[in-house]
Formats: sequence, C-alpha cells, structure tokens
Amino acid sequence: MSFIELSRVTKTYRRAGHVVSPLVEVDLVVEQGEFFVLLGPSGSGKSTLLNLLAGIDRVDSGRIVVGGRDLSALGPGALADWRAENVGYIFQQHNLVPVLTAYENVELPLGLLPLGRADRHERVALALEAVGLGDRHDHLPRQLSGGQEQRVAIARAIVADPPLLVADEPTGNLDADSADAVLTLLQRINRERGATIVMVTHDPRAARRGSRAMRLDKGSLRHFDHEEAGA
Amino acid sequence: MRYGLLLRRNLFRRRLRSLLTLGGLACAVALFATVESLNDGLEKALGGDQARRTLVVYRKNRYCPQTSHLPEYYAREISRLDGVSSVLPVKLFLNNCRTSLDMITFQGTPVETMLKQRRIELVSGDLARFEREPDAALVGRGFAARRGITVGENFRFSNVNVKVVGIFRAAESTEEEIILTHLEYLQRAGPVNRLGTVTQFDVLVDDPDRAGAVATAIDELFADSEEPTDTRPKIAFLESATRDLREILRFGRIFGLSCALVALALMGGTVVMGVQERYREFGAFRTIGYKARHIAGLVLGEAFLLAVLGAATGLGLATLLVAFGGIAVGVEGVQVAFSLTPMLFGKGLAMALICAGLAAAVPAWRAARIDVVQALRTI
Repeated sequence: MSFIELSRVTKTYRRAGHVVSPLVEVDLVVEQGEFFVLLGPSGSGKSTLLNLLAGIDRVDSGRIVVGGRDLSALGPGALADWRAENVGYIFQQHNLVPVLTAYENVELPLGLLPLGRADRHERVALALEAVGLGDRHDHLPRQLSGGQEQRVAIARAIVADPPLLVADEPTGNLDADSADAVLTLLQRINRERGATIVMVTHDPRAARRGSRAMRLDKGSLRHFDHEEAGA
Repeated sequence: MRYGLLLRRNLFRRRLRSLLTLGGLACAVALFATVESLNDGLEKALGGDQARRTLVVYRKNRYCPQTSHLPEYYAREISRLDGVSSVLPVKLFLNNCRTSLDMITFQGTPVETMLKQRRIELVSGDLARFEREPDAALVGRGFAARRGITVGENFRFSNVNVKVVGIFRAAESTEEEIILTHLEYLQRAGPVNRLGTVTQFDVLVDDPDRAGAVATAIDELFADSEEPTDTRPKIAFLESATRDLREILRFGRIFGLSCALVALALMGGTVVMGVQERYREFGAFRTIGYKARHIAGLVLGEAFLLAVLGAATGLGLATLLVAFGGIAVGVEGVQVAFSLTPMLFGKGLAMALICAGLAAAVPAWRAARIDVVQALRTI
C-alpha cells in the first residue's frame, strides 16, 4: 500500500541570481513501512525533496500525498498541525535546544498534542529508553557526545509515534561507530514500530541499511544498485 | 508547550547580557518611579481638602519664611472679618529657604488653636505632654521616618532644641514633614528673638467659594500698615512656592523619558541578538510542528519576562531610595514627600512592558515569519 505519492513534482528556487531546478517533474511512490533511502551528490535536491515530504517546503507544481493527505491543499496552520502528528524529522545537526535537558528536548513535540502529564512522561521515558539513553534524562546537549545527541534527536522524532520519519544525513556528523549505532536504531524503529522512513544520505554504505534506495541526480530519480556502486 | 521553562532557561542562556539589560531597565524604571513619585507627592500636596478652605497670609513682597515677619496681633483683627472661621498664627524656622533635599521645618503655633484647625492624629506619644511642656514637639511621621526619630528623643537644630513627645499623621501630606512646637518657644529659640511676630497666618474660611473675597479683605485691612500682607489661597501659595520644584520635575521627566528610550534600545538590542542567534532553533521548532504564533510568543514572552523582572528590581530600588534614602524635597518651607502609590507601581510596570512590547514586536514578527528551510541552513 503506497504511503507517499509524488506526482510530477517540480521545485525551483533562486540562488545567487541563478534559477536552480533540483526537482523536475519527479514521480515517486514509497510504500507504508518502507525504509527508503535517497542518495545523490551535494546539491542534487535530496534535502529539498525531504523538506517537501515533511511539509516544511512547498512544491512549485505537482502533487504530494502523504498518508492520504494532499500537502499542497493544506494551509500553513493545518500543515503545522499535520507535521506535529505525522512527521518526525531527524536533522544532520540534531538541532536540540541547548538550554533544555535531553528529557525536555524529547518532550517538545508532545507539547502540541492533547496529552496529560503522566502520558507525556511515559512516552518520553519510553523514547529515551528506545534509543538507549534512559539514564541521561537530565543531561543538557553539551553534556552528551555527538552520537548521544543524535540519539536524543531520534527520540524526539519518534516520541509522538508519527507514521513518517524523515532523516536528513543523520550520520553525516558522526564517527563510524556512532553512525552504525544510529543506522541500527533506525532499522529497529522501522521494524518494530512500522514507521515509514525516508532517509537522505550521500554514503552508499548507509544506503544498504534501507529496504530500497534511489539516486537523485539532475532533477530526476533512478534506481540505485548497491552492487553497481560497489558499496 | 512549556513556555515558562523555555523563557526562564533562555534568559539564563546569556546570563551577562540578560543581567546588563535587566540592570539598565531597572535603573530606568527606578528613575521614572522616583521622578513620578515626586510628581505624585506634589499633586497630593496641592490636592488636600483643607487647602481649599485655607488662606495663607504672608508679609507682602517677601518670598522666604525667614524674612516674612508679621505682628502676631494681626490674628485678632483677621478673625473679626466676615467669613473667617479661625486664624492660626504660624512661626516658621527652617534650615534652608531654597530648594533642598533635606529640609528641616519647625512650625510654632498656639497649641490649642492648632489642634482645632489642623487635622492631625497622634500615632505614638503623649498629646497631653505636648500641650503641657513648652519645649515639647510633635514630629510628622514622614520627617520622623526620614530621620529615624522616635518618641523620647531630643531633636536639635541650630538654637532650637526640642523634646519629641509624639509622632503624628496628618490629612495634608506636606504637614507630615514638619516639627510642630509651641509658638512662643520657637519665637524665643530662633537666632533672633522675635517674640510677638509670626511668619504667616493660616486662615480657615467658612465657605471655600468666598476665599478670594476674604483674601482681598485681609490685604485691604493691612494695606496701610507698616507690615502689609499678601493673602492667597493655600493652593496658590503652594503652587507659587513649588514653582521651581515643578520646573525641576519637568526636567526630571524629560530625563526619565530619555532613560526609558535608552532602556528600549538596550532591550531591543538584546531581543534582536537573541533572535538572530536562534534562527536555526526556531526553524527546528517550526519543523516539529510549532506555529508562527508560538515562535512570536517565545520572543515576546522573553522580552516581557525581562521587563517584569527589570520593573520589579527598579521599583524595589525606588522603594528603597524613597523609604530609606531620607529624602524629601522642600522649598520655601513647603516640603513635598516622595509618594510611591500602587498606581505608580502600575505605571512603572506598564512602562517596562511597553518598552518590551516595542522592542520585541518587530523581532517577534520576523522570527514568526522565518523561512523554515532557510532557517535550518543557518550556521
């Protein structure tokens, strides 16, 4: 069953006086529960596509339907509500709030949902436990390693139990061991929670962790062959 | 969203910057409150009920109590005039005729008439002892608080040495800043013995609407005498005496407004810097699902929290200054106490909140309108 459908999606923007078209009439279908990986060189439009899927950017033309909702039909307020309930976003640079503890950072998305204090506490504790940081509730981001910070960011992304997780180069800033741990964690979340994951990476080895990979180049998508790439 | 937590933590994120802004705002609010408290004190001094019914008879062409000398027997002649209810001869002795922050004012009056004419009430001490002992004095509670005077002490200034036998509160705020003595004692105790002369007469009229006619009658009565008089309603007298003070106050208000503008600029700088360095964080908030109004609320909330803390500190400083600084402005024998009222506290808080609102409005609007994708790319 398809969960994400992109139909003839085009996105252009201006950069330093030039018109750039990272996505030209792109079509894509991602199935529910799939761990979909998007590869491509820098500036190929991977993050643009991810931002469109996450509802933080708008298409110029075409249509994006996620979980049966046409994102182009939603106004800014409705889109924000949709994001709060349906999307968990994992950034390359984790983007944790430096003045909040790990617990408080993970709790942030729950502030937008109609949940009681006890419910929120239970969910945050479970999310931190799931990423292996059950004993780091009171640590500020600066008191954690890069890998731990990224795991807190993953806990923040999954705490509201969204059906879609998008990850933009989640291992880009991590050493090999931490990157491996984060990818294993994403695989486990995909398997155990059934969340659909769309991950952007430029690392072919990371791409092998997904159930399917595609390469975005010069505005269009094509199948990515691990064997061909020698990953 | 746990706004309170985020607001508090963000203020502490840049502690020194927040403290400097808070300090600047507190100083501006303290200055504003102190200047306005003098204005309130002045309005209180000019707005007493009794002032509408009272005339002040002064020596013509004299502007300082030290040089106004009128024969005490004028009291009898004034009291015979139609419309006069009672006449109180008053001898003034003070340390400074010009504008002063620490004026000491002795008022010597016939005790019995004074107690009938003035609405004073003892808060501590012994009234009978005051009536009985010629060198006894009652001290206004404002002056007593400023100078830390208590019942049983002796108070001495120049040749005047009195025993404090009571502290009083008065219906007229200016009277709470004086020392009341027996008339004859003060006439004899001054540097020059002026027995039989007084500084002024406080004349209570039956009908406030006839005060002008009575004043004219008094001045006509003594027009050809050796010591002619100048009689004015007490309000006009107070207004004339405090003219310089009001000029100073006007300057003080301009100064206070300038400080408020400086505080506004200071706060604006703090808010703008706070927003600029958190664009990426706001982008992350928007990605999670927070709306533009949440982000605007965060920026405005921080500014308002800073304003409330700054106002509380500033008003606390002003209270300390007024309560323990021992200051009251006096001029020509009229003393105006600084008066910090609940309304003034409200004004101080409102000023700080307006500064915060003005300083944070544009940054909040811009933070709310950020392009999420661009914000996430911010380094």
